[in-house]
Amino acid sequence: MSDRLLVSTRKGLFVLERLGGAWAIARHAFPGDNVTLALHDPRDGAITAALDLGHFGTKLQRSTDGGASWTELAVPAYAEGDEVATGDGKPNAAATLKLVWSLEAGVADQPGRLWAGTLPGGLFRSDDLGASWQLVRALWDVPDRMSWFGGGYDTPGIHSICVDPRDARVLRVAISTGGVWRSDDDGASWRQSAHGMRAAYMPPELAHEPNHQDVHRMVQCRAAPERLWVQHHNGIFRSDDGGTRWTEIEDVPPSVFGFAVAVHPSDPDRAWFVPAVKDERRIPVDARLVVTRTRDGGASFEQLADGLPATPSYDLVYRHGLAIDATGDGLALGTTTGGLWTSDDGGDRWHVLDARLPPILAVAYA
Amino acid sequence: MPRMLLASQLARWLPPDPARPEGAVQLEVGGHTVGAALESLFATHPNLRGYVLDEHGGVRHHVAIFVDGRSIRRKDRLDDPLGDDAEIHVLQALSGG
Repeated sequence: MSDRLLVSTRKGLFVLERLGGAWAIARHAFPGDNVTLALHDPRDGAITAALDLGHFGTKLQRSTDGGASWTELAVPAYAEGDEVATGDGKPNAAATLKLVWSLEAGVADQPGRLWAGTLPGGLFRSDDLGASWQLVRALWDVPDRMSWFGGGYDTPGIHSICVDPRDARVLRVAISTGGVWRSDDDGASWRQSAHGMRAAYMPPELAHEPNHQDVHRMVQCRAAPERLWVQHHNGIFRSDDGGTRWTEIEDVPPSVFGFAVAVHPSDPDRAWFVPAVKDERRIPVDARLVVTRTRDGGASFEQLADGLPATPSYDLVYRHGLAIDATGDGLALGTTTGGLWTSDDGGDRWHVLDARLPPILAVAYA
Repeated sequence: MPRMLLASQLARWLPPDPARPEGAVQLEVGGHTVGAALESLFATHPNLRGYVLDEHGGVRHHVAIFVDGRSIRRKDRLDDPLGDDAEIHVLQALSGG
């Protein structure tokens, strides 16, 4: 079971450690700054944190001592002439880095490799641990990109990057809003693979167009990589063939709307979601924060609430706000109202952190 | 030489220096235009480039630059001239309330 958590918040990065069985704040890095994401690199233990400094832009920082000291890295940059479309008739705009929305590490035999997904929709690769970044132009240049559009933001963005555990050249990225894209050759070529998804927010004739699917989050089972799970803007989807075809899981109480999803690292049939009232409200159904769990591939779901608030709760969990550890027993949940809960038994029972944190954007085990 | 004043929000991202007091920082810079003065700043403090300018070389949307009390004319050109005693303020723009 992991004993360290990285909690990225609107007011800094909190490093939590388990002390005598209970989680506690061990360190607060970048106090006051908007830390949007943190990656723990299993290859060397380093932490890479993404900061959105507002006035001064998006930054990346790296720590090799558990967050005690930090070194600023380069950030992904767009070139003169790179344009972003929003797909709904607004004129194209010059592409500038808005946000690092996803960070993933390469595998052991790619020692310097990092991937960064960004708003406004570019995927970037580093082979020197973030000292420099290259736009993956083969994906940027797909003609379909010009019909991607923003979900919660003004521009499209890449929030999920799955590096296949069997072959690190096989990549899948999910885009809000642009479906799922797959490369089998380390990013040299790409193809759309959101077939089978349904977009209830589009005109009927466009509802099944893969390029218009608003994937909120995509995760891949480590031990059974053919199984992927997606929390989508209007539903839950599962793939059993490596993300080529997707099947909708319908009628999941209390709601199929949400942002986050986690999959068990060794059991592909076990997945967790955090439901909310659909798009125009984005609050827990009946003001009751619950986690839904399936243990049979989506045939049935349980609502888990033991240890979650019994009183009215308006906590929303963003797409990177639900984490699972390497054993599959540890779960952590961080909310927009600063609540943080952990579970040691796959969500059967939740324990609240004894702290009122700033709004939580992302949680990750380290 | 022109003087550049960096607001404290920006100055805190300078490399740590125990001798430097907290808060706004004043530096002497070279150059006869705002762009040249910024290049002079970045020559000494390269990490600040990405805080003041975006990747296309324009002043960031929410960063403001004033020369002798007047806002620069074009955030994408930086060709405002500087006198020898010019005072350049680089600060976060107030927007959004």
